[in-house]
Amino acid sequence: MLSLGEKAYCAALLALKKKEYLQAFENFEKAAPYFANNKEFTLYHDTTKLLVEVKRKLGTLSEDDKIEIEEIFTHG
Amino acid sequence: MSQTASLQSLESLLETFLDRVVFLKEKKLNVLDGINRLDDIGAMVNSGTDVTDDIGNWFAEHNKWLSDRTLKDTELNRITGMLSKIKREIKIDADSSMAHQKISSEIDRWNSKKEHTAPIIKLKRPPETVTPEPVLTPNSDTISLFVKRLSKMTALFMDYSNSKNHILSVLEDLLQKASTETSKDALILSAFIIYYLKQNGYKVEPYVRKLKEAETLYKKGMF
Repeated sequence: MLSLGEKAYCAALLALKKKEYLQAFENFEKAAPYFANNKEFTLYHDTTKLLVEVKRKLGTLSEDDKIEIEEIFTHG
Repeated sequence: MSQTASLQSLESLLETFLDRVVFLKEKKLNVLDGINRLDDIGAMVNSGTDVTDDIGNWFAEHNKWLSDRTLKDTELNRITGMLSKIKREIKIDADSSMAHQKISSEIDRWNSKKEHTAPIIKLKRPPETVTPEPVLTPNSDTISLFVKRLSKMTALFMDYSNSKNHILSVLEDLLQKASTETSKDALILSAFIIYYLKQNGYKVEPYVRKLKEAETLYKKGMF
């Protein structure tokens, strides 16, 4: 049986392969308690975390990526 | 450079690094994914799901592992362990369907290949007696093997101690190598250095803990 940590690490690497960085990060987070002392794991985890943050920031800064939200209130 | 341009540059750099990681780990990742999928099939068997198609597809995709001999012993052991468990769970007998019997024969084929590629070495000793043991002559093979290992570990130590100021730095790096590369030489050498440090009054508990973790990873043969 693979441990939950191993499964999550595997899923994270597969997500990296598909360039699905948010999914990779979420799986790294799940695996983190199992690989706390593994420097290689920590490097990949932290790099992915940073990349996700950068992408979030870019999404916020880029005018094209802005999403206009309009709230509609119904009366009665 | 604007903030956006800086972030885009950083984004590109991080993506390139992670692409490189995936490229370097491609082979290991494929094996790990295959083992993971087999593990999932094992879990499906436990829950009573019919896995005939899933395991058939798994064999079709991974049979080349046996012919290519790409697997390490630890990986092969894990796979055959999982396959044996699946075979036990689906309870194949004379009345089973053709598909189930085919699965059974495929599992047997894997197990027989495993025995062929990774023979189990059994160490035996004669029964204990009250009469004095005869004097054993040294076995030249074990000695030469040990000498070879020692010389490899010396080379490894020289490699890792280069440009370091303290043996603890060397030990840290060796433990890292033992964990990430599942290197047996690094593992044995780390244990040797830890014992040496202990004899010289160093506090070695954190390193012993790391050694045990590295040993666990080595036994699993993963990552």
